[in-house]
Amino acid sequence: MKKNLLIRLTSLGLAVITAMGMAACGETTGPETPGGGQTAEYTKPDSIKMTFDTCMTFENGLQDVCDEYKNQTGITLELEKPDHAKYYEKITLAFASGTPSDAIEMGSTYYPENANNGALWDMTDAWENTTAPAKSIIDESYVDALKIDVKDGSGPRLYGFPTVAGNGTVTYVRQDWLDDMGIAMPTTYDEFIDMLRKFKTRGSGTIPLTAAGLLNNGETPYDIYLREFYQDAIPDFYQKEDGTWVDGFSEPEMEAALTRLHDAFAEGLIDGEIVTNKTSTCRDKVNAGLVGCFNYWAGMWCAKLEDSTTGTDPNAKFAAMPIIKEAGHYTERVPTALVITNNCENPVGVFEDLIMYSHDGDKGQMLFTHGVVDKHYTDNGDGTCTALPYYEDPTKLCEKSFYAPELSITEWNDPIALDPRVEESLAVFRDNRTFATVPVVSDVISENLSNLNVVKGEVAANVLHGNITVQEGMAKYNKDAGKYVEAILADLNS
Amino acid sequence: MATNTDAIVVKKPPLSVMLYKYRYFYLMSIPVVVLLLLFYYWPMLGIRYAFSTYKLKHITSGKGPDYSTGFGNFKALLSDRFFTDSFRNTIALSFWNLVFATVFTVVVALLINELQHEWGKKFVQTVLYLPHFLSWVVVASIFTLLLSAGSDFTGKDTSNVGFINAIFLNLGLISQPKAFLTDTSTWRPCWYIIQRWKETGWGTIIYLAALSGISPDLYEAAEIDGAGRLKQTWYITLPSLMNTILIVFILNLAKILNVFESVFVLYNDLVLSVSDVIQTYTYRKGIQGNDYGYATAIGLFKSVISLFLVTGADYVAKRIRGYGIV
Amino acid sequence: MSTKFSFQKGYRARAVFVILNAIFFIFMMVCMIVPIIKILSDSLMNHTVYGMKLIPDEINGIAYKYIFSQDSLRRPLVVSVYTTLMTTFLGLLISTIGAYILIQREMPGVKFFGYMLMFTMIFNGGLIPTFLVMKKLKLLNTLWAVILPMALNVSNLVLMRSFFEGLPKSLFEAAEIDGCTPIGTFIKIVLPLSKAALASIGLFFAVAAWSEYFHYVMYISDTKKYNFQYKLRDLFADKQAGDGEGTNINIKTLQSAAIIVSIVPFMFIYPFCQKYFMTGITMGAVKE
Repeated sequence: MKKNLLIRLTSLGLAVITAMGMAACGETTGPETPGGGQTAEYTKPDSIKMTFDTCMTFENGLQDVCDEYKNQTGITLELEKPDHAKYYEKITLAFASGTPSDAIEMGSTYYPENANNGALWDMTDAWENTTAPAKSIIDESYVDALKIDVKDGSGPRLYGFPTVAGNGTVTYVRQDWLDDMGIAMPTTYDEFIDMLRKFKTRGSGTIPLTAAGLLNNGETPYDIYLREFYQDAIPDFYQKEDGTWVDGFSEPEMEAALTRLHDAFAEGLIDGEIVTNKTSTCRDKVNAGLVGCFNYWAGMWCAKLEDSTTGTDPNAKFAAMPIIKEAGHYTERVPTALVITNNCENPVGVFEDLIMYSHDGDKGQMLFTHGVVDKHYTDNGDGTCTALPYYEDPTKLCEKSFYAPELSITEWNDPIALDPRVEESLAVFRDNRTFATVPVVSDVISENLSNLNVVKGEVAANVLHGNITVQEGMAKYNKDAGKYVEAILADLNS
Repeated sequence: MATNTDAIVVKKPPLSVMLYKYRYFYLMSIPVVVLLLLFYYWPMLGIRYAFSTYKLKHITSGKGPDYSTGFGNFKALLSDRFFTDSFRNTIALSFWNLVFATVFTVVVALLINELQHEWGKKFVQTVLYLPHFLSWVVVASIFTLLLSAGSDFTGKDTSNVGFINAIFLNLGLISQPKAFLTDTSTWRPCWYIIQRWKETGWGTIIYLAALSGISPDLYEAAEIDGAGRLKQTWYITLPSLMNTILIVFILNLAKILNVFESVFVLYNDLVLSVSDVIQTYTYRKGIQGNDYGYATAIGLFKSVISLFLVTGADYVAKRIRGYGIV
Repeated sequence: MSTKFSFQKGYRARAVFVILNAIFFIFMMVCMIVPIIKILSDSLMNHTVYGMKLIPDEINGIAYKYIFSQDSLRRPLVVSVYTTLMTTFLGLLISTIGAYILIQREMPGVKFFGYMLMFTMIFNGGLIPTFLVMKKLKLLNTLWAVILPMALNVSNLVLMRSFFEGLPKSLFEAAEIDGCTPIGTFIKIVLPLSKAALASIGLFFAVAAWSEYFHYVMYISDTKKYNFQYKLRDLFADKQAGDGEGTNINIKTLQSAAIIVSIVPFMFIYPFCQKYFMTGITMGAVKE
């Protein structure tokens, strides 16, 4: 009589699903994949749909930027600006429902995966053959940074165009503390540690160095925030000169790096809360004037950190430290790409009239960087311009429309002068950087990487806290991560 | 109630009569059923992805899911030690949290009910339920501050230790600041306490509403019988609340495997072994793997487990009050 | 009820309890309010302070002035009020109807209906299928995509039913004898007697609708249709990687002020709903 609820629920569910399954229809149909483009002649598109993640809002005149674009080119720019926090979910949904935009801004995690699976238009030829003014003024190294080696031997191909430089992080030091204590900017690891030790004596509550986590929360490059300690160790897979891939985390260099981190931590030179810190916690500590040394984005952030800190400590001054000798280099991330999807009907047109136009070193670039004249900036008539306040907030100057001016990839004389602090920190970064390469993606890697990163995180944090010794840590790593590392290496070296 | 002999005599009317009798109810059920089918059952077709590989490449290339996987996702899932660990943690964390939540919330609701001062009662309730409206990110940032062991790992400089450590140090309970959130032995208790801090006041609302439904006659009668306040609570208030307590318990039980944000914002590399839950595992897999089929398989696995839990609870509920939740 | 407060014999235990109870709640309130005071204090100081500073060293309302000067927050406020009212109304309608059907234990198919509801609490289709359904129903970019899924909330429906179960059976029988149709009984008897349930579950719907964020992100791309919660997040969310704010107001101060602004409405809603929770109000009505 009494049927089990479990059976009832299950059978009901199955019944409903089956019934509705019959009513269901195919949900996606694949777009045709067009070949590489010819650029010699192209038809101008009537309208372009673009998805972009920028901090300018429609209320602050993003629509005016689109209107001005239509004014200048005659093309309607339909702009979609999803929420920053859910940007990639939205893009995935757009693809899943078969309605991705013509052009989409994509970070370096999504770009290679999409490029590999044929969703993106191959713009290699379009870039080779273009006659646009952009061709002669763009710094090719940024374009090259987005090229992906395809295994069929056709050489590196380009599936997205850099919007701005990838940028990277530099180590900011409290210049006023250095001056105050008569310390010179360190150039070697010993001097660096010595500086942290001296900072430590500045009184209670001082944090000589802070960072958010040990391995950049599992995002590549893992070592950017603690370059001084990692030095020649690479906590990731990398390709040796002979072309074979190795796991940097199990190499002896890593053991030395962990020892350095542990020693500095045990001495109290590194923030005791590094494992629980979020980036925002670090910024709070820095802005509260407690921190002597903090690795963060080059460029705009130098000024921002300083401005926010002077509220608490009026003397605060930050300087970007040239990389110390042992560490060798900072890392420039892979730039964010503006891709053209295969759903786009006129990819060459979009490439020429949107992408190339936005890097033309002239009107187009000005529009894509600073916005609309007399709305976002004024022309002073002497070749210089001045940024205007946002529509809705008179206290805040327009920073950018789509592209950050300080990170422009063209040789372009920006008529709006940069904050000298921004330029200085960027100069230090650019003198000391190497370019990161597009991360390799494969099914094997994505299946194993998240677990591997967990093991790395656990080992590094426990070694840091002295719960286990460095040797025990390496042993634990080899034991726990062995199978993931083997699988990935086998895939990479195949 | 009727006697046994009556019960035997009563014959069920034929179905057509019953259908006619309840015709208005069928009419009323239409909007509910339509919404249910459209927004819940139709998307449920997606559960079939659990038996497929459905990665970003299948989505963006428009090929659609690859069903050759079959039960492969489930095999991979159950052979991954990080998944099984996270499953164990989820059960442990959620179960204890549910127990604490039920007991503590009911007790607080009863105590609020005992507050005599009307204005004071309102004020207390309003304050108690406010933390519910803070996002977990904000709650985590505050509690990380409160529980902080300071920025000096050597423990000599205690000037910026958190509130809790400062109190413990001053009382002489500890000699060194304790990093509560990075210690495997203290992380879980902290998490339970933070959960109670955030959700207790909000949880009492439903019980307070239920308390208002208890007839004052019952209390008056009990008072005449000479029952004290404690006895009244035990013999009248609690039994009257039992129905609501059971329902709330079962509703929460159906959701226990979904615990995510509260853990995600509070866990770290040092306590992963005691704090990693299914949803955080899925999240990590998601940002790097992006296999929608695998994620759906995890979801389906969770649903099946929940089904067992709810069915079990339903059985218990039937034993206690005669009929289950449905 | 014995409410007399006195230390005389016979009342002493009660008096001790009342005092202990008061102390307990004072302690609880301190625990609850301290972190919120910290946020309030952070929102009033236009510089970053690290740690639990409860008393601001300056009182500066610049962040609040800034938030309320944002024109772009006005329309979202209207959207929020509209969706909250609609969701609460439809949600209560559907929950009460569903609950009313569920208590008809004799009705053929009622168990099937119940299982069908419960099943959706445990199994769900996931993000992509739900999105595709919204697209097929042409609800993308309309507020219905936010309102309708929220209006059918099985947990709330089941809770509502547990309240209806508490209503005396004699009432329904009497109504039937009086010749009330089921719909008449529902409107004239069930609803008026369920004020506490309507108030508490209505509060659940209202709060959920007011704080909704996810549905807006997923289903809506028209910026004119975002709600207040979304906009607050959009304006003050912690954006990394150079996407900065560059204002002369400290970002931490702004974020703290935004948190305070977003919880203030709830400080007023609850006391309003609460008057329906007073002991005895429901049953008092039955006696009349």
